[in-house]
Amino acid sequence: MTSIISTLVEAWQELRINKVRILLALLGVALSVAALTSVVGLGSLVREGIKAQSERDGGRVATLTLSVNGPSTPDAEKLEKAYEGIQQRYGITTSTHVGRTQAGFQFPRGVTAVNMTIVDIGYGIIHRVPLTQGTWFAADDEQRLAPAVVVSEAFYNQAGRPNLATNPRVSIPGDQPATALIIGVVPDTYPDTPPAAFILTKAAAMTGMKPDMTEFKLWVGEEQANALTAAITADLQSQFPGYYAQAQRVDFAAWGDPLGPAQWIVGGVAGLVLLLGAVGMLNISMVTVRYRVREIGIRRSFGATAGRIFVGVMMESVVATAVAGLAGVMLAVAVVKNPWIESKVAPGLTEFPAFPIEAALLGFGAAVLVGALAGAIPALVAVRVKVIDAIRF
Amino acid sequence: MDTSNSQETLVSLRSVTRSVTLPDEKQLHILRGIDLEVLSGDHIAIVGRSGCGKSTLLNLLGLLDVPTSGELEFMGQPAQRLSSNARARLRGSTVGFVFQQFNLLPGRSALDNVITPLFYAKGKDFWRRRELAMDMLDRVGLSARANTMPNMLSGGEQQRVAIARALVRRPRLILADEPTGALDVETGQAVMALLDTVATETAAALVTITHDTNVAALARACYRLDSGVLSPLARAEAGAHS
Ligand SMILES: Nc1ncnc2c1ncn2[C@@H]1O[C@H](COP(=O)(O)OP(=O)(O)O)[C@@H](O)[C@H]1O
Ligand SMILES: [Mg+2]
Repeated sequence: MTSIISTLVEAWQELRINKVRILLALLGVALSVAALTSVVGLGSLVREGIKAQSERDGGRVATLTLSVNGPSTPDAEKLEKAYEGIQQRYGITTSTHVGRTQAGFQFPRGVTAVNMTIVDIGYGIIHRVPLTQGTWFAADDEQRLAPAVVVSEAFYNQAGRPNLATNPRVSIPGDQPATALIIGVVPDTYPDTPPAAFILTKAAAMTGMKPDMTEFKLWVGEEQANALTAAITADLQSQFPGYYAQAQRVDFAAWGDPLGPAQWIVGGVAGLVLLLGAVGMLNISMVTVRYRVREIGIRRSFGATAGRIFVGVMMESVVATAVAGLAGVMLAVAVVKNPWIESKVAPGLTEFPAFPIEAALLGFGAAVLVGALAGAIPALVAVRVKVIDAIRF
Repeated sequence: MDTSNSQETLVSLRSVTRSVTLPDEKQLHILRGIDLEVLSGDHIAIVGRSGCGKSTLLNLLGLLDVPTSGELEFMGQPAQRLSSNARARLRGSTVGFVFQQFNLLPGRSALDNVITPLFYAKGKDFWRRRELAMDMLDRVGLSARANTMPNMLSGGEQQRVAIARALVRRPRLILADEPTGALDVETGQAVMALLDTVATETAAALVTITHDTNVAALARACYRLDSGVLSPLARAEAGAHS
């Protein structure tokens, strides 16, 4: 115990003696650690942003869409039966129809076309829809006479940002006029998107909205995704002979990591810079050791063991790069958590994730490793110093 | 020589030789059959011409080196059978070196220099390192210069710091290799007197290498090393040289 502490204290003293030289090498280490950590940190931020975005677009892991195509449009009722059967047979509890159409809404400044997404309750789960106000559809919303809508920020603005607690309504003129109840607000995906709203399948039918095309999505566990895709495709195919039936993964994980290659390249460059830092550090430690051969001899004459000398020289390097690594990591956190950078890097996120701990650990670990590598060689040299030759005049 | 039974043998050498292989494959026999006993509390002087093997002998006494042949027992343990780590630890706890060129660590204050050996000490001594080092500096009369760098100290002062450093772990054996060699005569005498006094106070054995016969006269036993052979020097003879 004491020997560990005394080694550390000694190493710290040695560093203070050789300040300036070491400081320059350490600057390189700190900067490359900052680069490496920032790359990993920013990468994970971008990935979070893309993930949130694609969950809203495609669905979360693992989402399947079912489709049946052929010479003629398959019978809608038969299709619904088939979908229901599949959910029962494979024990799938979360599913949704997704249809798109447009509908005119009466806003204070006139009637405006709104992009409608016709969905089931399950859509909220499958796409992890974030709400800035109010709630997503619940079971009792299906029974309402006035159709419930969850609207986009742009829609909400056009409607004059009414207080949701007052059950604000918007009328839908059209062929089958109705009055919709706004129950929730979701953020816009991009700035300046036209107004949009979600409506449940039944309510859409009641107001005469007909989707141009309907998808059917299922949410399944990631582990079974591939097996289920094959099984459901076969199942569906057997029910629609002569048609082309397919179940297909559409969530973003199915496409692999979109950032992988870019991050590897930038990370590799940072790693190279770190290697250069290590070589600089090694160079300085070597010079320092050569210049200290006599000093090492003196220390050995006062009872320092070879192991102690080895660890001592190595610790100097490790203590130094650890401090540099810490500084580098702090710099990286300052960069990645900068609000301006965050909003530019991941515009799709409403809430930014905490700085990834694994990026910080990676940066710090790399710094310590560099210190150990750069310290090991001079430490070996130091151990080989012949005491009697070193202190001979 | 006082060899009363209360004295314990610190180091004993029997027919010890030390030779080295030169680059041209020839053997250089530096020490040839040395017999020597260093008892606790002894003050021994070894005189001899430059290059006769004095430092080589001192390195053997301080476990920095091992004999080529013969037997060297350090506190009852055969040196040849001790691992280099065991020798380092034994050296740290029992031996203190004083060198001709002082060998202070540059860039570190007098106090830090005296602290150095305590980095290799166990528990209590390490934690009390400042206190112990200040104490020792006080003994050599340099507590006022504790924070001074070695290059700001005179030769005599540097050697006093070196003495404090050699003594800070309370070694039972002090090995001084021409401690006055780099000092003027007067300063050398003062330093030698100090070394002798401090060694006596701490009941340590002192082996001094010197070619100054005045210094040799201070010791209780005197030897001459000539071409690798050690022979006792009669007191009268030592005195006669001065
Ligand atoms: N490792 C070595 N290799 C070659 N020659 C050595 C070595 N060690 C000592 N010598 C030689 O042995 C002789 C005695 O050295 P040393 O003990 O330092 O003498 P002293 O201290 O009495 O002046 C010298 O001639 C020195 O050059
Ligand atoms: Mg010598």
